[in-house]
Amino acid sequence: MNDRLAAVVGFHLQERRRSPLAWGLPLGAMSAFIVAIYPSVQSALTKVVAQYPEGLKQAFGIGELANVEQYLHGEMLSLIVPLAVGYLAARAVASDLSGAAESGRLEVVLSAPVTRTAVCLAAFLAAAVEVAAVLLLTLVLSLLGSLVAGAGLGVGDALAGFAMVWPLALVGAGLAIVVCGFSLKTSVVTGVVAGFLVAMYVVDLIGKLDDSLSGVRYASIFKYYGNAIESGIDPVAFLGLTAFSLLLGWIGAMLFERSDLNV
Amino acid sequence: MGTTDAAIETEALSKLYPGGHGIAELTMTVPSGEVFGFLGPNGAGKTTTIRTLLDLIHPTSGSARLLGLDSRRDSIEIRRRVGNLPGDFGFGRETTGRRALDLMARLRGTDTGRATELAQRFRSDLERPLGELSRGNRQKVGLILAAFHRPDLLILDEPTGGLDPMMQEEFLAMVGEERDRGATVFLSSHELDEVERICDRVGIVRDARLVAVERVPDLLGRARRKVTVRLADRGGLDELRRLAGVSEVEQVDGGVSFRFAGDVDPVVKALAAHHVTDLEVSRPTLEEVFLGYYEGGEGEG
Repeated sequence: MNDRLAAVVGFHLQERRRSPLAWGLPLGAMSAFIVAIYPSVQSALTKVVAQYPEGLKQAFGIGELANVEQYLHGEMLSLIVPLAVGYLAARAVASDLSGAAESGRLEVVLSAPVTRTAVCLAAFLAAAVEVAAVLLLTLVLSLLGSLVAGAGLGVGDALAGFAMVWPLALVGAGLAIVVCGFSLKTSVVTGVVAGFLVAMYVVDLIGKLDDSLSGVRYASIFKYYGNAIESGIDPVAFLGLTAFSLLLGWIGAMLFERSDLNV
Repeated sequence: MGTTDAAIETEALSKLYPGGHGIAELTMTVPSGEVFGFLGPNGAGKTTTIRTLLDLIHPTSGSARLLGLDSRRDSIEIRRRVGNLPGDFGFGRETTGRRALDLMARLRGTDTGRATELAQRFRSDLERPLGELSRGNRQKVGLILAAFHRPDLLILDEPTGGLDPMMQEEFLAMVGEERDRGATVFLSSHELDEVERICDRVGIVRDARLVAVERVPDLLGRARRKVTVRLADRGGLDELRRLAGVSEVEQVDGGVSFRFAGDVDPVVKALAAHHVTDLEVSRPTLEEVFLGYYEGGEGEG
């Protein structure tokens, strides 16, 4: 990494050094709680879930809840963590581009000999590191919860489950750069990405609920996100989502190069 | 275009927005080593011009060269040699001046030695978050970031906004030193005193167009000054009205008030025929300077 790029990435990470704790602690605490209560609610859950309509179980990824991994996926990894962390990634990028434009920082930074593409890349890389830190903290707290409660959460399974959130969140980061190419208003950037993530989830949900519409799931990133905590990481899906996020980031950088810095 | 010793050259530079404003057909040359003032009311196009020169916004048509380099194609090389203070300097509320400085130093591949020197000179606290600083103290940090790498061209948008009088003096001294070392300074301003003291020439923008480029004494000479004269005797009004450059002649309590622009000698001679008990000549405000141009037609540009 060249020194200018490293300087901007380092600056962003330093500016948001509290973010991994601010996001990772609540998400991790919630995951740890879910994991920790699993042994005590397992039998009751099994009975309740058995009575759920099949479509509902499939739609929300509830499965049979026969083990703690399935429970963690259903409660956290199927919706809450990917949406929250995807939003975080978009917010991080927005902070470094549109937020920086709003605060005046971007004008100062771009008065130095650094390209806009490098600034976009730095925002993307900083978001990637930040998201990884949040996911790591959430994973560690979940494992601690399991250890304390004797829930038996598999380290490899949990690692796979949380790791698969990373490329999905990066899609949010890439899309945020695209939106910054059109608008330098943080509320617009985060709003569009949040709406996109929810829409992707709904498209996947519709495909799950109605077999005749199952084809629409291919248009949703949640189809490729899958259920890694149970089925392991699909390397093609992992790399595909990562490549898609990079493509979005590149398109966004091209748009950003051509845009006017007017706030 | 192509004057090699020009720090800034623009040729029919235009930036048009759907809602109006921007800049239109701006053609000007700022020689190297000059301190050039860029004046105009709010919304006239000063900031748009600066941002276009720095390639922060892209021109609709026309071209600009800074330090002999094309503003678009050679933007990176230009920014290596230019320092910029934006109009409303900010860097994030929680960022300290030191952290901002460290980032800019790494981006510019230079050390922060001169920044420390400038911080002492401007009594700037680089360790406090910018959000905790007053506008003037934030502006000092902005000035340091703009100048610490000894740029060949300093572009300053309203540089003294919020600075106290002592720091304004320090700023003026710094600009003088920048000129002495051969740098060019391009600044937009609303402060006539500041412009008069440090600028070699000024450009005046109005409604997105450059309406005049003048030496500072010529600029002030065209401004309409308000004069109030107390006279021991009555009369003199008609005589004053006949003089070139005199307008708005009014009888006031115990004397006469009027505005004039241009050669003061006929006015003094006309008043000399009376017993003058008091004379007050007010300095023109920048608005009055603008009025002199807006009502008097266009100059160079």
